[in-house]
Amino acid sequence: MANKAAWRRVWPPSAAFVVFVALWQAACDFGRVDPWILPAPSAIALRMKEDAGLLAGHLGATLQLALSGVAIGLAAGVAVAILLHLMPFVRSALSPFVIASQNVPLIALGPLLMIWFGFGLTPKLILLTLVCFFPVAWSMLAGLGRAEPHLREYLAMIGASRRDMLLRLELPASLPYLFAGLKITVTYSVTSAIVAEWLGASRGIGYYLVLKFKGYDTSAVFGAVLCIVALCLALYGLASLLEQGVVRRRLRTRPVKAGWRK
Amino acid sequence: MTREERFQLEVADVFKSYERDRRPFAVLDGVSIRVREGEFVTLLGPSGSGKSTLFRIVGGIELPDLGRVSIGGREATGTPGLISYMPQQASLFPWMTVTDNIASALEIAGVRREEARRTAREWLERIGLAAVAREYPGVLSGGMQQRISFLRALLMPRDLMCLDEPFAALDALTRTEMQGWLLRMWEAERRSVLFVTHSIEEALTLSDRIYVLSKAPARVLREIEVPFGRPRRSDVWTEPAFTELKREILDLLGKGDAHAV
Repeated sequence: MANKAAWRRVWPPSAAFVVFVALWQAACDFGRVDPWILPAPSAIALRMKEDAGLLAGHLGATLQLALSGVAIGLAAGVAVAILLHLMPFVRSALSPFVIASQNVPLIALGPLLMIWFGFGLTPKLILLTLVCFFPVAWSMLAGLGRAEPHLREYLAMIGASRRDMLLRLELPASLPYLFAGLKITVTYSVTSAIVAEWLGASRGIGYYLVLKFKGYDTSAVFGAVLCIVALCLALYGLASLLEQGVVRRRLRTRPVKAGWRK
Repeated sequence: MTREERFQLEVADVFKSYERDRRPFAVLDGVSIRVREGEFVTLLGPSGSGKSTLFRIVGGIELPDLGRVSIGGREATGTPGLISYMPQQASLFPWMTVTDNIASALEIAGVRREEARRTAREWLERIGLAAVAREYPGVLSGGMQQRISFLRALLMPRDLMCLDEPFAALDALTRTEMQGWLLRMWEAERRSVLFVTHSIEEALTLSDRIYVLSKAPARVLREIEVPFGRPRRSDVWTEPAFTELKREILDLLGKGDAHAV
């Protein structure tokens, strides 16, 4: 039954994808489009196969950079959320600036960070952290304040300390929000890693992309885009799995066995 | 009431008003109540009569404008952490199992973790709820959740239990069943209880003594000693004295003359 339902959900987009690729292929085959303007899907596939080893290496480097950014961003985001939650004054003093900082374009921030920190890993990690911490921090901050009022009242009535309130109610209640933020963060992390590599790197998909653009190797560019999308989806899927493991498990419903009545 | 008696709870001349539309709005108008050790005392009053405010003052999370509260013979005005509490909504934590819900509350009250968990498990077993010990509250019925909530309040190492309309959200059948259950549980343990309800039958069935409160601003209209003995049958409502008391209370609350059954 479950398989059937899953199949019903999966097949329409799969069919749409196949039709789209077929049309694309046909347009290239019969429309005489220059391959450097729009390469055919078959050409992209071939190009990817040729560069498979290279792509894998660059993809690995990007993945490593993105995951480092997610890890630092997650830690920083959780810490900032708890801090701002516990100190409402600091929160109201700083939040306009934190929100404003998110509007600084990456392509402006990246070069600046390179002027300040050189061409190594440091400016890239800073860039990624700045991007990654925000969805986690803001989403979790909202979650910390949104714990059920009647649970809050209950804890207050039995004399719970601020620490108990945080550990026993606010943190667990904010977990779904944390994961909502994390899912946004993982997709941001890949695109920001690409931008960081684009600005200056010797490896990674972003670097590969720049190289191929400059050589008008459009099919390789499409190949790289495909890799990036796949990477984003994979990380998003991973975060969803993690969420299910941590959040959904505790809210699962199971029929209660009878027999509790005296 | 003799002088040397010890009161687990004393609320003396408590006044409280809030600001509503920029004008003071009196909620409590000199309320005094007492709960003896091992006594089941009920505050009975119409909805919106300030019972919850009084509870928050007893719980120490709100300060009275005037008057004071003492718990276990000690000054307790504005001091939280001296009572155990069973709210109207079961207020169980959805991400914790039944056992962990109880243990967590005990830990807040200062019980060590292993001991808290052991106590929770033992008691769940003792009162026939072992089957749900590892369940999450979300899968339990309303009545079941309230049993867990009551047990959680009972096991807290505190001298006074405050029960705030715990059965108000249940359907009539479950409510009657829960009253019988609570009666048995309480009579076996005999803790000092301050109970709030707006159901006259519930008050008469469960309590030793009833304070009838007026509409806001709340005053104590009458203190009633409930004449039915212990252990009390849960069908005590069949006694003629029950109906008489009920009529008396209805009169007090100004809903008299109508058919008081």
